[in-house]
Amino acid sequence: MKIELFHAPGCERCAPLMAELQAAAAMSGVEWCEINVLDSLERAVELGVLTLPALAIDGVLVFATLPTPAQLREALRQRDKDA
Amino acid sequence: MTRAVLTIGKLAQAGGISTDALRYYEREGLMAPAAKTDSGYRLYGEDAVRRVRFIQHAQACGFTLAEIRELLHLRQSDSACCNDVRQRAIEKKLQLAAKIRAMQSMSAALERLIVECADGAQAVNECPILAALEQLDGDTERAP
Repeated sequence: MKIELFHAPGCERCAPLMAELQAAAAMSGVEWCEINVLDSLERAVELGVLTLPALAIDGVLVFATLPTPAQLREALRQRDKDA
Repeated sequence: MTRAVLTIGKLAQAGGISTDALRYYEREGLMAPAAKTDSGYRLYGEDAVRRVRFIQHAQACGFTLAEIRELLHLRQSDSACCNDVRQRAIEKKLQLAAKIRAMQSMSAALERLIVECADGAQAVNECPILAALEQLDGDTERAP
């Protein structure tokens, strides 16, 4: 599985939360990809990202705002189960 | 505190905007007169022209009046920083890009319909465009 986290650099509030999510993703053995939305606007639009930060799993926008690590783990677990 | 020196007519003229629009901005909480005369006429401070221009520029960038109200609050907030405004600008750019994409899709759907009706010589009841719109399936319906 692959996580794409779309963000705009410079958000001080987001940085620590993103680090926690990255750690949660690493524990789940999932690929983690941070995307500066200004560098990949087309990709963000393709996935329906309208607010930042936003998180997609396997090319599907799952969280329009940053989830908690627990919410992310649950989404990953659910997706794994459905696969 | 700036002096209340401009009537609504003068402000409208200076900002290149109608007096109705100024009253609308006031109802939407974007503008407020600095004072009123004894007769109840609105008087605005000198900074009101800048505020009108701010609102107009923000509207030209696609911000809604509600979003402009937020930007005006941010401008006056001690705890806000430039990055808060930047974040909103980036989100607005994303929303505009999504709209452009949707409109391109609509344009492509129309293009296909126009090509199907190349000569435009059929009777209206045989019009392929109207027929396709009635069917509303395929790509035309799926356009985001």
